[in-house]
Amino acid sequence: MIGTLTIAWRNLWRTRRRTVISMSAIGLGLALVVIYGGLVSRLMGDAKEQLDTTGLGHFEVTAAGWRQHRSGKLTIADLDAKLQDLPVPASAEVSVRVLSRGLLAGARGNEAVEVHGVDWQRERAVALYLREIRQGAVPADDDAHGILVGEQLAERLKLQVGHKLRLTVQRADGEMGAALFRVRGVFHTLSPGIGQRRVLISRAAAAELLGVGGSAHQIVVQIDRAADASRWAGEARAKLGPTVEVLTYADIYPIFEAMESLVNGAILVGSIFVYFLVGLGILNTMLMSVLERTREFGVMQALGTRPGGVLRMVLAESFWIATLSVALGLGIGLSFTWLGSRSALLDFSEQMGEGIEFGGTVMRAAFLTEFSVRAALLPALYVYLMALLVALYPAWRVSRMRPVDALRAG
Amino acid sequence: MPAVEVVEVEKHYQAGATTVRALAGVSLTVEKGEFMAIAGPSGSGKTTLLNLIGALDTPSAGALRIDGVDLAGMSRKQLADLRRDKVGFVFQAYNLIPVLTAAENAEYVLELKHMPRAARRTRIGQLFAELGIGELLDAWPGKMSGGQQQRVAVARAIASMPAVVLADEPTANLDQVTGKALIDMMHRLNHEHGVTFIFSTHDPMVLAQAERVVRLVDGKIASDERRGETVAGAVAAPVA
Repeated sequence: MIGTLTIAWRNLWRTRRRTVISMSAIGLGLALVVIYGGLVSRLMGDAKEQLDTTGLGHFEVTAAGWRQHRSGKLTIADLDAKLQDLPVPASAEVSVRVLSRGLLAGARGNEAVEVHGVDWQRERAVALYLREIRQGAVPADDDAHGILVGEQLAERLKLQVGHKLRLTVQRADGEMGAALFRVRGVFHTLSPGIGQRRVLISRAAAAELLGVGGSAHQIVVQIDRAADASRWAGEARAKLGPTVEVLTYADIYPIFEAMESLVNGAILVGSIFVYFLVGLGILNTMLMSVLERTREFGVMQALGTRPGGVLRMVLAESFWIATLSVALGLGIGLSFTWLGSRSALLDFSEQMGEGIEFGGTVMRAAFLTEFSVRAALLPALYVYLMALLVALYPAWRVSRMRPVDALRAG
Repeated sequence: MPAVEVVEVEKHYQAGATTVRALAGVSLTVEKGEFMAIAGPSGSGKTTLLNLIGALDTPSAGALRIDGVDLAGMSRKQLADLRRDKVGFVFQAYNLIPVLTAAENAEYVLELKHMPRAARRTRIGQLFAELGIGELLDAWPGKMSGGQQQRVAVARAIASMPAVVLADEPTANLDQVTGKALIDMMHRLNHEHGVTFIFSTHDPMVLAQAERVVRLVDGKIASDERRGETVAGAVAAPVA
């Protein structure tokens, strides 16, 4: 068997050191792209799909102008009808909130807080921290005086389960309202801001305290895929009419998408840089290889190898370099992303705390990676394309040489 | 039909502002079965003439026909096919392909001609046996002596039964004894199988074996001396 691929394979190992160095450099470049891609993909995926870390949801419905004024008076008119008409996929989670700012006073001091009046079961589905109760429990549905506080707030006010608190708010009619509550539980959240500011009581208690009757300020919708948020929000906007405002997470926190674009841009630039280096590596290897063996190509031409045959010979060598590099790069890259999908490759928890707030959501400071063979195949394909592309020049050059000139070389 | 016809061939090179006439109106006919040497001092045009006959280079003027095929106007691809089918080469520096074994080197041309693998192996096995280099079939060029490499190069050159084998100073890198053995082998192939050989040489021992000696001086034929009869039949019979 002395086909083109066989000869190319053997030629590759004539300069073993050079081949190994080239292959390692290209392979490591590919591995970096795969690992970086896995890291960012997981990061952005988590950020987008886990907006329930902060309870933001994928889109919200509020009374028109509520986002701007945050007035307790601006409740959603005909709430039940709106909920009935709300177009959402069957798998969506929907929670209704009565919202207010207030002052929480305990035996050891007081703190400004944001009050979320919620239906506990519905809220559990859209707010991750309700699944992270560290002390006590979520209040019962009929518990009109139960309150949940964040770990940081509990620490500042030295609160324990069972402690009494006085919550003062401005009612919808402009008067002050106040009620006594008892701490039923302390929740944990990745977001220090939420842990310090947010308190949750039952929706009924909040409605009574604020004097908004059966109405509410916000409907939060969490769907399966963040990417579908705009479409569903658009449908909701059309269906519910102008008395309400429908905003996606990206509308509320435009920095989120800006950051995503920035990260994607950084990946693209980084990848182009790596592929550029890959190309240079292969070009250098192939130019050296062709230069050293010009006479040999002349002999092959003398024996009757057509110019196209010489071209294929050089491309075949580049193909083998790419194949070995891709095998090495995928081996390293996929190994690291697999490991990184199980335990964090990068962990900034000590420096930055457990979570990093980012564009309206919170990411864990311990970065995991996404393990995806499919996602790694695309950069591998680019390495192949780059290998063949850059090898075309030396291949074309040597194949165009007259045999007599090639034989004189070296 | 002659193996080679060279008609008023000229070859000019440009060396800076100067035009060098490497060949100046050379005409030559080589019949099938000839064992011919091209002699002459360095720079007389021997290698240039061989390169032109071997379709490795193109003439500045004149006509060349190999086994009746006119080289004029042929594309690079057609010239490659002509070399594959009608010309064998033996180089001064052997020029075996280092990543192929001796047998694979000889097989290479047959593979270019799309001969099936089994037939190639049989052909090369028989050829190596006949040339007395059967033990070298699986040897790598880097592990062979110069004489062994050159004998393998001869095997490669004649493997596809070309119309003519061109050898440029084939013994120049060999010692006297090895060189003589190589020429004896070429001579035997010429006598027994009618293989047409054209070789350039300085070596008096090699020249002494040639049946025809064409002397070149300054790119022109100075003499054309025939010493013996061309092999009867003048059609190459398969070796091995």
